[in-house]
Amino acid sequence: MIRLEDVSFKYKNKVALNKIDINIEEGESIAIIGPNGSGKSTLLKLLNGIIFASQGKYFFDETEISEETIKDNKFSKSFHKKIGFVFQNSDTQLFCSTVFEEIAFGPIQMGLSNEDIEKRVSSCLRMLNIEKVKDEHPYNLSGGEKKRVAIASVLALNPEVLVLDEPMNGIDPKGKKFLKELLIMLNKSGKTIICATHDFEYVEGIFKRGIVFSENHNIIRDDRYENIIKDKQFLEEHNII
Amino acid sequence: MIDEWLLEKDSYIPKGEKNSYIEKSIFSMVKTVSIIRENKIKEGIIYHINPLLKVVISILNLIFIAITRSFIYVGIFDIYLLSALLMMDKRDRIRIIKMSLIFPIITFIALIPAILMGNIYNSLLILQKVLSTIVLMSILSHTTRWSDINKALKLMFIPDIIIWIMDITIKYIVLLAEYSIDLLFALKLRSVGSSKDKNKFISSIVGNVFLKSYKMSEEMSSAMECRGFVGEYSISKNLTFKKYDYIYVIINLGMFLLFAIKFV
Repeated sequence: MIRLEDVSFKYKNKVALNKIDINIEEGESIAIIGPNGSGKSTLLKLLNGIIFASQGKYFFDETEISEETIKDNKFSKSFHKKIGFVFQNSDTQLFCSTVFEEIAFGPIQMGLSNEDIEKRVSSCLRMLNIEKVKDEHPYNLSGGEKKRVAIASVLALNPEVLVLDEPMNGIDPKGKKFLKELLIMLNKSGKTIICATHDFEYVEGIFKRGIVFSENHNIIRDDRYENIIKDKQFLEEHNII
Repeated sequence: MIDEWLLEKDSYIPKGEKNSYIEKSIFSMVKTVSIIRENKIKEGIIYHINPLLKVVISILNLIFIAITRSFIYVGIFDIYLLSALLMMDKRDRIRIIKMSLIFPIITFIALIPAILMGNIYNSLLILQKVLSTIVLMSILSHTTRWSDINKALKLMFIPDIIIWIMDITIKYIVLLAEYSIDLLFALKLRSVGSSKDKNKFISSIVGNVFLKSYKMSEEMSSAMECRGFVGEYSISKNLTFKKYDYIYVIINLGMFLLFAIKFV
């Protein structure tokens, strides 16, 4: 489904990703692990077509994702519909006047009927347990609630791939447990989950595969998530725990 | 429990749309932020001249250009600016030349009636003054860091608190612009269809940025209070001069003298 071939990315002259090769199949749940500044967030931005590889190729459903292909308005929309991105900072993801409008934005864009929009929004509100705040301005919510609204707004588009950047950041333990259960449920329902994370305590059971980045911005291990987490010496050696 | 619609793949085919307003907004903001963030001092003597001198002399030159009525003075001053441009980085030079041509062209169009009425000398003088002023200020802004320009204002007896406000403003322009870029990206990623009122969300983003700036200013105010800030802000002046600073002063004293001769 997702294939990165020898992908590198540079911010001006600084290397952020160094010759990355990744192959992701539909339905996988993958944790992107690495120390700060190792390139995790850059990879997620690249997967979502926000930035483009300086070198190498990125394929989504066998179609190359490049600046040129994303310029095609119709293709770009179809691509963004299939892959949803939950930003690290929810503040920068919410731009509507109410939580309801925020979640309804995607379905409205898709041209769904009012009945279907209502159905999707109510379903997301219930699933994320944010029914009480549906008429509030997203800006006035707590950090955890904002994160839930951001996830709901992306889920309302029913993407095939869900990409999350440090989803556990700024959430209380109860919220983390809730989010963990939700991600497990979504993965079981067939969604591909790709998630950059630092928080290993609350993500147990979500991921089947782990991809580890080094401080040199390349992949140093691609293994079963459990094997990586059990290897304390490896994690300490690479400044991950 | 997961609802049924989430278990099925949507058979959604988006319609094509010509509106690229969001992409253009992102592109122009990224471009502006990268220019402001380009805070590195580049290679070349002109970039290393003491910022205090550069600011003071540039302001004096600006005043002299504004009040002179001599074509020769402005002409010689243009040669001086041209040689300064030649000492600059190629990218900066091209950017300044491009920027400096827009306003003189507009001014020329506005002055066409005056030229046709026979007021050629004054019209051309105004045109030359506009060009010189823009190039002069562009050279200053491209060769001096914003923070250094702010510090140089201290020499002009501008209160520290004003300098501090300007300093913080420049820093926050970048932060808020990055925040806006992320919001625009979020809008772009979720704009998977064609909706006529999509652009109305731009105003919503502006509102969000305003709220964010208000919150950030409140937080910073509290943080500064906790660090013992009581309204006094002192900054140091860099009054150490090198060989090329003296050369710069001598050249400019020559320009001042020329102005005095031509003015009198």
